[in-house]
Parts: sequence; C-alpha cells; structure tokens
Amino acid sequence: MNKINTIEVKAITKIFDGDVKAVDGISFNVKEGEILGFLGPNGAGKTTTLNMLSTLLRPTSGTATVNGHDILTEPDAVRRSIGYVFQDTTLDIELTGRENLDFHGRLYGLERNTRQQRIKEVLELVQLTDRADNFVKTYSGGMKRRLEIARGLLHYPKVLFLDEPTLGLDPQTRRSIWEHILHLNQEKNVTIILTTHYTEEADYLCKRILIIDFGKIVVLDTPDNLKARLEGDVVTLLFKDPAAIETFRPLLESKDWIRRINVVNSGNNYAAMSRMMQTMPGMSSNIGMGGTVPEMDSRTIEGKRKIPEQVQQKSEQDVADKNPHFGGETCSKCLNLLVDNGGHRIPEIVKLADEAGVILESVELHKPTLDDVFLSVTGRNIREEEGSFIDMVRRHRIMQQARGRRVRG
Amino acid sequence: MVQPLSGQAIYVVLLRELKRYWRAKARVISSVAQSIFFLAIFGLGLGGFIGGFGGVNYLSYMAPGIIGMGLLFGSVFSGVSVIFDRQFGFMKEMMVAPVSRTSIILGKILGGATTATIQGIILMAVAGIMGAFTPSFAFVAGAFVAIGAMLLITSGFVGLGVAIGSTLNDFHAFQLLSTFVMWPMFMLSGVFFPIDGRPLPLQVAMLCDPMFYGVELLRWCLLGAGTDLLGPLGWLISLAVVAIFNILMVSLGTYLFSRAQI
Repeated sequence: MNKINTIEVKAITKIFDGDVKAVDGISFNVKEGEILGFLGPNGAGKTTTLNMLSTLLRPTSGTATVNGHDILTEPDAVRRSIGYVFQDTTLDIELTGRENLDFHGRLYGLERNTRQQRIKEVLELVQLTDRADNFVKTYSGGMKRRLEIARGLLHYPKVLFLDEPTLGLDPQTRRSIWEHILHLNQEKNVTIILTTHYTEEADYLCKRILIIDFGKIVVLDTPDNLKARLEGDVVTLLFKDPAAIETFRPLLESKDWIRRINVVNSGNNYAAMSRMMQTMPGMSSNIGMGGTVPEMDSRTIEGKRKIPEQVQQKSEQDVADKNPHFGGETCSKCLNLLVDNGGHRIPEIVKLADEAGVILESVELHKPTLDDVFLSVTGRNIREEEGSFIDMVRRHRIMQQARGRRVRG
Repeated sequence: MVQPLSGQAIYVVLLRELKRYWRAKARVISSVAQSIFFLAIFGLGLGGFIGGFGGVNYLSYMAPGIIGMGLLFGSVFSGVSVIFDRQFGFMKEMMVAPVSRTSIILGKILGGATTATIQGIILMAVAGIMGAFTPSFAFVAGAFVAIGAMLLITSGFVGLGVAIGSTLNDFHAFQLLSTFVMWPMFMLSGVFFPIDGRPLPLQVAMLCDPMFYGVELLRWCLLGAGTDLLGPLGWLISLAVVAIFNILMVSLGTYLFSRAQI
C-alpha cells in the first residue's frame, strides 16, 4: 500500500468562544480510496472537524490539505474536491429529485450535457431513477438519504464526507445505504470520511477507525487491530439484583484470568436528550441562527417539558438498539469482563456466583466488538454516552456552538 | 470583502425561486384575490363617497397603490424566506458549493424581484380589466415603464427582507414583521388617500415611507400624474429615492447575509 494521502490534517483545533475546545489539535492522514470512520458520541468533535475540512468553519489553529489543496488558502479548490452529505436533510423538498440534482450540477458549473448524463448515472447508482421526477416531499427518509448521497457525487468529488449517513434509518435501509457506500467507494475510488456513533457501521464500512472524544483522538487503527487490542473474550453478566454487583466485583478482581472489569453504566441517556433538544421546535429555533446559546433549561433535564411524540419513539428505538446482547434491556445490572479463554471460565464464574449467593440472570460470551473497544479506551459506553452532568452540559454546549457557528462564505 | 460572482450560480438560485413561485399557486391566487377585494370593495364602497382624487376616480387612484401592496408583501416575504432555507437545511447545500455568498444572495434577490414583479403585472392586468386605467397608447407605454419600476422597487424590498431574514431567528418574528413593518409601510404609501392636505405628522410619516415613493412612481407610470406635494418633478424625486433605497437595501441584505450564521 503505497498510496498518496488525499487528506492530511495537521494539528487542527477549533475553540468556540475562547474556552470551549470542540476539536483539540488533532492530526491524521487519509489515503486515497480509503474509508475512514470517525467514531464518537455526540459532541465529540466529529461534525466540527468535517466542517473545518470542508471550509465551512475556519480552524482556530492548525490546517489541513484536501486533495492537495489547503483549506485555509484554497477554499474554492477544496470545495470543488469534496462532496458533503450533511447530518440533517439539506434537500429542497418543494423540488423533484432530479431538480435538486440539477440545481447542484449548475451550482458546481457542470455543462448541460455533462449534467444530464451524470444525473442519470447517479440516480441509477442509488436506484432512484423511477422516482426522480417526484417531489422530494413524497420521499421516505431512506430515499432522501440516497438522493443526498447521489447529489454529493454529482460533481465527481475526490472526497466524500458523510455525516451520520444512517442516523434514524431503519435497519434494512441502513444496510442498503452501506452497500451503496461500499459500492461507490470501490467503483469510483472515492475517499470517504464518515462519522457515526454506530459501532457496527464503523466496523462494517471503514478501513480505519478514528475514535474521537472531547475533541481528541483517542485511537486510530483498523477495526481488526482495535479488536485485537482486547485479547480474550468478553463475558457479560446480568445480575438479578444490581446491588450484588458491588459484592461480587471484589471476588472477580482477585482472579488473574480476568483482564479487565467494566461496569456497564445505565445511561442518563444524553443522546436521547440532546436529540430531543434539537427536535423541539422551541429549542431548535435557537439553534443555528441566533448564535445565542440557550440556557440549559432545568425543566428539560427533569423531563417535565413535553417531549414530541416522534422523539419519544426515537428514544425508545435507541433503548431497543442499545444492547443487543440483552434483548434491549438497559444495562444497569450488567458487568462486562474481559477474560482469557472465556468459554472455559464461564462455569468457574457461575460457581463463584453461586458460592457468593449472587443470582445471575444470564451469562453471555462474545468476541470483542467495537462497542467493547470504545468502552475500554474511553471508559464509557458509546450508545449511552453516560457521564457526569458536567460532561453532559459540556457536550451540549459544544454542540450548540458548533451548530450556531458562523460559516465561511 | 469583494467576492467573485458566478453567473450560473446567480441564475440557478433565481431559477429555483421561479419554480417555487410557479408551484405555490395557492399563494399567488390568494394574494391576487386579496388585491381584487381591496379594489372592488373599497373602490365601490368608498368610491361612492369620495368620488376621486386628482382628477381620477377612486378605483383608478387606488390601483397603483394596490399593485404596490402586492409588490411590497411579495418581495419582503421572498427575502425573508432565507429563514426557511436555513431552517430546512437547504442553505448548507448552497454554502458548501464553490460559489460566493454574494452570488447566491444576488440570485435570491433577482428571483424575488422577478416573482414579485410577475405578481405586480398580474395585478396591473386585473385592475385594467376592472376599468382602473384609460386604454391609450400612452398607457401601454407607461405600463412597460411601470414593469421596469416594479423590478427596481421589488429588488430593494427583497434586499430589506434578506436583511431582516438574516438577522431574525425564527418564524415567530413573522407576525411582528407583518404588523409593525409591512402594514404601516403599506398604509402610509398613499394607497387610500393622497398626501396633499393631510396633517403634518402624517405627511412626515408618509414621506419617511420608502413605499410611498414606489407608489408615487407607479402612479406616474400608470396615471401620468402624482401628488401636488412633490410637484411636476415628483416622478424624478420618487425614482431617485427608490433607486437609492434599492442600492442601500441590496447592499445591506448582501452584507448581513454574508456574515449570518447558517
């Protein structure tokens, strides 16, 4: 592998309002044709980094080159080299799919013939040819996403930024978007950076994964290498009584075949909360426009504010997704053990529990996943994004600011 | 900061405005209907008492002002629609493209001016059908000049709308905007009564209303005369004020849009 670097990031930093470090001096390279995943919870700095790389946001310090062009000195050349599929829909729903593509093609200065031929091509690529002349307001969420990806490709960018490409989509649609992403990466040799907080998405799509938290790179490696860092097997214990965790834990700590013990915290569910804030009409009107950071509303935190129905559904969906190993139960009653030769140790663990009078509801054994990696490198579960209240406020503040930021023209 | 302009970018943003206008038929119909109500009900109802002003009947007197109302509301709201572009995310699609913000906003202003002028032409035709204008060669020539005046008037007001839309945050401000900016501008524009002989404070208020000069200009184009107060050079004064307002508002709108957050 002797490929050139399509993206080179040099100590890029973004500080909002003097003290909030959204991105903290990160450096990395992306090779031509690579798919790099930014994995991290909300507010980790993923979108802020993409906004800087796409010249929408000026870095506080540091710089980067994209396709050989400096983001500070050659923003137009950078913009021509990239396609950006934003996290939220940026289609004009009053226009048809084809018109949205046509608008984009003209904006990027494509000639009439080129434009028409490429529109046909990208529509076929995302299988929207049949619906191209329908208004976008009649499209489903997955179709809108596919149309946006198609649009991002229309001007043949060398680099494609995908910000949470499958957020809020059902599993089937998600799978089909994944196939499209892989397909166009292989077919067009497009270099891709995608952000996600779905570990399985990062695992499936990315050649390398960059775990980012609080604006810093925690680790950057291939999915396999990351998982190999966690030698052994993950054994997850589900207790009948959460209080038993504390009595049982010291017994386990004395065993040398247990490499690591992680309590899987139950979330105060920052993800759902922040999403709720984004979706609430009253709050969202403050986001991205006024630049004023709304005060954290204590009523919101106490949950007394009325949550719109769709958000409620979303949160429920999150809970269901949360931990597939436990049929959707939240894990306030779980303990994760990293164990050598896990299969052979299960009887021993069960015996230990029996002797201690602790009742285990179930025992699960699995190979380490990126969820486990995330837990081991950041000390937190990515889905639940639990943390102290201070962390939560801090993330919220960063996100508010990142959204409300002035964008470079 | 001087930013390079891209003809194609200006054109495509303009094209989008036209398409959206063309498709929002309900909006077009309701605004035309509103103007017809004004002309018919006020023209018939008040016209009987008032007779007319400045040698024309009341319907004819009102017609340029009612056309002006269509222009004013159409253009300010199309400028303010940058709020919606931001809210629904489409602004980001434009912002990340390799074109300057100036190109985008000029396209927006030209598009808004074009659609509002189309609205004005429709109203001019409706008023003509209702008998507001005397058919003559002079009138036809005046009507063509009026179309030019409409473009000048509306692009200024789209600029004002963009300036407001780039500063305000949310939809709620719409109601305030309508009550405290649009309606006073409309009612002080001399649409229902001439400035001549009004109490001084009212005259001053009317002279401060940019739309007053717009209506005055249209009245010169369509009726061939204006108010006594501005005199025989009223058309020139009005044209100058409208032109200066246009330059100021387009510049202000462009500036505020360029530094706004998305």
